[in-house]
Amino acid sequence: MPLGIIFKRALRDIRQNLVTHIMTTIVVALTCLVFIFFSVFSLNLQRIADHFGKELAIVVYLKKDLSQEMIPSLYQKIMGMEGIDSVRFVSSEEAFKRLEKYFKDEKEVLEGVDPLFLPPSFEIQIDKAVYNPGRVRSIAEKLTHWPEVQKVQYGKDWVDRLESFSKAVKAAVVASAVLLLVMAAFVVSNTIKLTVYARQDEIEIMRLVGATNGFIQGPFLLASFLQGAVGSLTAIFAGLFCYEYVLNIITQTELIRSLNIQFLPLLNMFTIVIVSGIFCMAGTAMALRRFLTL
Amino acid sequence: MAFDLEPIIYPIGNMAENYENKRKVMLSGDQSVIELRQVQKKYAPEIVTLEEADLTISKGEFVFLTGPSGAGKSTLLRMLYKAEEPTGGSIIIDGVELSSLSKSQIPGLRRKVGVIFQDFKLLFNKTVFENVALSLEVLGLKKDQLSARVRQVVEGVGLSDKLHRKVIQLSGGEQQRVAIARAVVNRPPIILADEPTGNLDRKRTLEVVALMEELNARGATIMFATHDETLFKDTHRRVLRLKDGKIEEL
Ligand SMILES: Nc1ncnc2c1ncn2[C@@H]1O[C@H](COP(=O)(O)OP(=O)(O)OP(=O)(O)O)[C@@H](O)[C@H]1O
Ligand SMILES: [Mg+2]
Repeated sequence: MPLGIIFKRALRDIRQNLVTHIMTTIVVALTCLVFIFFSVFSLNLQRIADHFGKELAIVVYLKKDLSQEMIPSLYQKIMGMEGIDSVRFVSSEEAFKRLEKYFKDEKEVLEGVDPLFLPPSFEIQIDKAVYNPGRVRSIAEKLTHWPEVQKVQYGKDWVDRLESFSKAVKAAVVASAVLLLVMAAFVVSNTIKLTVYARQDEIEIMRLVGATNGFIQGPFLLASFLQGAVGSLTAIFAGLFCYEYVLNIITQTELIRSLNIQFLPLLNMFTIVIVSGIFCMAGTAMALRRFLTL
Repeated sequence: MAFDLEPIIYPIGNMAENYENKRKVMLSGDQSVIELRQVQKKYAPEIVTLEEADLTISKGEFVFLTGPSGAGKSTLLRMLYKAEEPTGGSIIIDGVELSSLSKSQIPGLRRKVGVIFQDFKLLFNKTVFENVALSLEVLGLKKDQLSARVRQVVEGVGLSDKLHRKVIQLSGGEQQRVAIARAVVNRPPIILADEPTGNLDRKRTLEVVALMEELNARGATIMFATHDETLFKDTHRRVLRLKDGKIEEL
């Protein structure tokens, strides 16, 4: 296939109908921008949910009257459970020290308080590789029934809710991606159709002098790929620009900075460009199938 | 008319190979290039252009095709490059049964058959050069590869000075010569000329006939459809007359 000629013809088609092609590319860009906005939102939501989920520890408060000798065997028992990453024993003294540190300059408030008034506890980290909210709950529930345990604490429902919300958003993003891409492909293929109509005489003549289907369709397919790819690339740059701008404003607060909000990873951007190009090309191929084959 | 065609080798590519692979049909005569077997063509029950017509044209022949207007000359030629399907019988071009060709093999056929269309089929908003170059572009030739060849052929039909004029600015006779140049620029072994002199004066007409004879002398098989009896009145060549669905030898 003579790629050089096909490229030249595609560029000629675009040049001769520049305004229409630019408008189409802008529509593709806007469409992609909507999608990019949703996927950045979804991506970060997922990250935040993961982050909190994974940082989440189960804290097991032990009964105060528990004898020191019991600790190692309890430790072993917890480590023996499935899905546990690490367990750390926090003695009453250590808990008190933490409290002191927390009060820092106002340590005086703790004066006269018995350093052993806090119960000893185990801090359990869930294995990140196998993390899921259901597992945290089932581990926590098992622990509650142990006789040595006074109380079990973990960030229950809201993590679960965040998790399922983020899943729903993800599904919505995928569905909207398909819809938006179909829309972009439709717009592009219609623009290309206009070019094809304008070139019908030429196409007929090319056929009569022995042009192959590839030679005839190639420029149209290439032009639609270019529109899809350039449109989505424009959207990515626009999205990146908005991201930087908005980030600058909202990261004034410590909380949001700690969330470490991200734009799409490079691989996703690359995929968006290629998939958008391919979708637009496939749309055109379908639209042209009927009247480009003699 | 000076028409010195040095032999060129142009890439025919897969299409032609594809087409060559189809050359399996037994030929009735070894050298037959165009063959019609019991061909029938009806546009409607009452519009019959061919009725059980048989015809064999050998390699290197120069055949005139005549007949009254509306007899079906153009239709017959169109069937030879598969722009029209016969309603019965079979057509064999260079050993290949046309009905057996798939869509992707049609370009291979059309590269072998140069057609001078009765209605020219030129791109009126393109230059003479661009129109003629199209036949070579579809073969995948780049501009620098085809440019000399196009100039040479355009010179051959006497239009050198109009090379970069748009076709729409040319006279009817000039346009006809552009159509001729485009049909022969890729040196097809078969040339179908549908009234190639319809718009030309006597001098130009004789030049076109001479050009066809020259191409014929170089090995091309030529089918020349015309009303103009004077062109074949004293000829030693084969003349076919199409009338009432029959092909008569004159
Ligand atoms: N697409 C078509 N549909 C129906 N009838 C057609 C079609 N094309 C041609 N015909 C009819 O077929 C007959 C032959 O037409 P054709 O163009 O082959 O004649 P011709 O011999 O080339 O005439 P001329 O010398 O005027 O060019 C005519 O009666 C024409 O009306
Ligand atoms: Mg005719």
